[in-house]
Amino acid sequence: MKTTIQETDQRIVAILSGELDTAAAQETEQALQPLLDSKGKDVVIDCTELEYIASSGLRILLSILKQAKSVGSRVILKNVNDVIRDVLELTGFVSIFEFE
Amino acid sequence: MFKKNWLSRVGIMVIAALMVEAISVVQYRSLKEIMEQDMNIRSRIALGASADRIGHVLELTEATMNENMLDIRRSLLRPDSIFRAIQYTIDDNPHVINGCIAFVPNYYRSRGYYFEPTVFKSGEDFIYKQLGGPSHDYTINPAYRRAVDSKESYWSDPYPYNIGQEQVSLITYTCPLIDENGILAGAVGLDMDVSWLGDTLNNRQKNTSSFLLLLTGDGMLVAAPSASQSSKADVEEAVNLIGQGKDISADKRLAIRKITMRREPYWQVAQVYYTDEVFAPIRKMRRQHMILIALGLAILFFMIDRFARSERKLREATAEQARIGGELSVARDIQQEMLPKVFSPNIYGTVVPAREVGGDIFDFYERDGKLFFCIGDVSGKGVPAAMLMSVVHSLFRTFSSRIESPAFIVREMNSQICRGNDSHMFVTCLLGCLDLYTGKLEYCNAGHDKPFMLTSSASVIPVKSNLPLGCFPDIEFEEESCSLTPGTSIFLYTDGLTEAKNVNKQMFGRTRVKEVLDSCLAKPDATPEAMVNSLLDAANEFMGKAPQSDDLTMLLFKFQPGELVRDQITLTNETEEIEKLGVFIKEYCKSLGLDNKIVSGIRLALEESVVNVINYAYPEHEKGYVTIYADSNRKEVRFTIVDSGIPFDPKAVLSADTTLDVQNRPIGGLGVHLTRKLMDSISYCRKDGKNVLSLTKSIV
Repeated sequence: MKTTIQETDQRIVAILSGELDTAAAQETEQALQPLLDSKGKDVVIDCTELEYIASSGLRILLSILKQAKSVGSRVILKNVNDVIRDVLELTGFVSIFEFE
Repeated sequence: MFKKNWLSRVGIMVIAALMVEAISVVQYRSLKEIMEQDMNIRSRIALGASADRIGHVLELTEATMNENMLDIRRSLLRPDSIFRAIQYTIDDNPHVINGCIAFVPNYYRSRGYYFEPTVFKSGEDFIYKQLGGPSHDYTINPAYRRAVDSKESYWSDPYPYNIGQEQVSLITYTCPLIDENGILAGAVGLDMDVSWLGDTLNNRQKNTSSFLLLLTGDGMLVAAPSASQSSKADVEEAVNLIGQGKDISADKRLAIRKITMRREPYWQVAQVYYTDEVFAPIRKMRRQHMILIALGLAILFFMIDRFARSERKLREATAEQARIGGELSVARDIQQEMLPKVFSPNIYGTVVPAREVGGDIFDFYERDGKLFFCIGDVSGKGVPAAMLMSVVHSLFRTFSSRIESPAFIVREMNSQICRGNDSHMFVTCLLGCLDLYTGKLEYCNAGHDKPFMLTSSASVIPVKSNLPLGCFPDIEFEEESCSLTPGTSIFLYTDGLTEAKNVNKQMFGRTRVKEVLDSCLAKPDATPEAMVNSLLDAANEFMGKAPQSDDLTMLLFKFQPGELVRDQITLTNETEEIEKLGVFIKEYCKSLGLDNKIVSGIRLALEESVVNVINYAYPEHEKGYVTIYADSNRKEVRFTIVDSGIPFDPKAVLSADTTLDVQNRPIGGLGVHLTRKLMDSISYCRKDGKNVLSLTKSIV
């Protein structure tokens, strides 16, 4: 699992790559800490290379979303593949996240 | 309904009465006809005889005339002797009371124009009188005229005549008188008293009221019985009827038969009958008939009534039977519907109830890669047994759908059946669960017959008996298990098979069952269906014409797992181990050739379940293990997660609400929800101190 964060003037972009299973969750959560301090910028999570996500991963996404909402930021999931979209649909996450 | 029956019965009676009456009337008529014919014959004979008698009487008078004619003729020469000649003539015949000779006018000039010497009988004496004279012009008398003019003898019609105080009826026989010179001298007349004829004619009419009448050809009464013998009115009526040419009175009271004499004066002899009297015997017979008929009809009515009642009862009973039969037929259908009808090649079962409905049951179904089966026999037969059988069936389905352990299922079923079992019925039952991947057979017996295990030959499995269901609520049932090697079959049956009796009351027995099974096993590729049918045929052949006394049920299944893909992995309770699980799942699924999307779903479901174990099953800092068994027959895949941690049934956890908004969403609780959504079925049981969670998904 590899996590890369790129920050611009308008956006904070996190690029997730690999499989976000329970074992990788703790490490990924640490890596995504900067997203919790978005300072009003839009948060973009690039899932282009994300192959798998477990409920622990979903929990991280939900924490980021809750934090961002509290400061008025948007959270956008980008390039979600079918497998992950299925999981997001099963959990009802499709209705609370924005997609790009 | 009652009224209608009653009316129809009365109708039948009326028809019967009319028919019998018609027969009686026809009989009466023909009898009457016979009697009338008989009467005609007898009348003719009687009348003929009477006519002959009368003829004879008249003949005597005629003979008297003829015999004395010569003397009379001679006396003409001496007119003074004429009186004597007449006297001698009438003295010859007791019935002749007067005699006279009416001479043609002026025959004897000396005697004057009219001369009619007449002699009257008066007792022993004779009185001579000359009656002719202007005041008694006999020449206009028709008898005289006939004798003189046509020179023929002539019988007169009767006329009344007084002898002293007594009135009698006279007739006169008149003959022409020719003198010795051949000259017509006058006419000789003999008066005959016929008053006596009436009684003489009727003196043979004894024992009957009928009487004879003598009449002239013109219908004038000549002689009738005296008033003591017959009523004067009836005589008059009869004379009137004869005058009108009738032979029966208008009121049919009187019937008349008559003949006419074959000689002068051609009188009629008539016999008068009282029809009442004539037909009295057949009327009496008819009355007796009527009484007998009435009696017969009364008996018939009684019989019809009895018959109708019993017939109605029979009809009602038949209808009731048909209704019960119909309901039983529906009940049978319902019962048959409950039993499995679709069989895979590795299992077959059948129930042959002894009656419409039976108390036997077999059932099976697959769940989570396991075959749950049961066979049972409710005490008794027929409807009561069938009702309990239905209960047993639904209890089996209900408890086996959420309990894995056969002993637990049996215990739950037992406590339910014991509840309110006032009729003290019980059920023997053998219930089990075969793992279709591992061949592990777990079973629990509740007083049922011991099954056979079929490998290369059939052998009885020595299962523990336990008590039947329904005896006591709190008893324990011991569970047993064994492992089946692929190709092994289990044969279950009810005592209807082993206790099937032939006409000699011999039982089919377990030995014969084993023989049949062995002979089936000797053949290659004997299917469960073929084996069950062989047993059924053997049992039927054995029973012959003996009736089936008990329900007969058989269930035979074969452990034939086919090609299995199996693997397993054991992890410790550390989060890092999840990575190994991911690799394990991916590799296993790859060997099954599954696509990426399904693999991800399976992996996620497994990961969520295993993470639960890793995080919560064991106390913190205590090392624990979790083993994942993967089994597939290429139709479905089953993962069994086994751990020794604290009991935890993930099925009992409430599903997460996936419709909540961001603020209200809890961070956790998604794992169980995802597992449920991603797999086809989840089952949990606690066994031997372990949590056993099975996740199954179809991959076809």
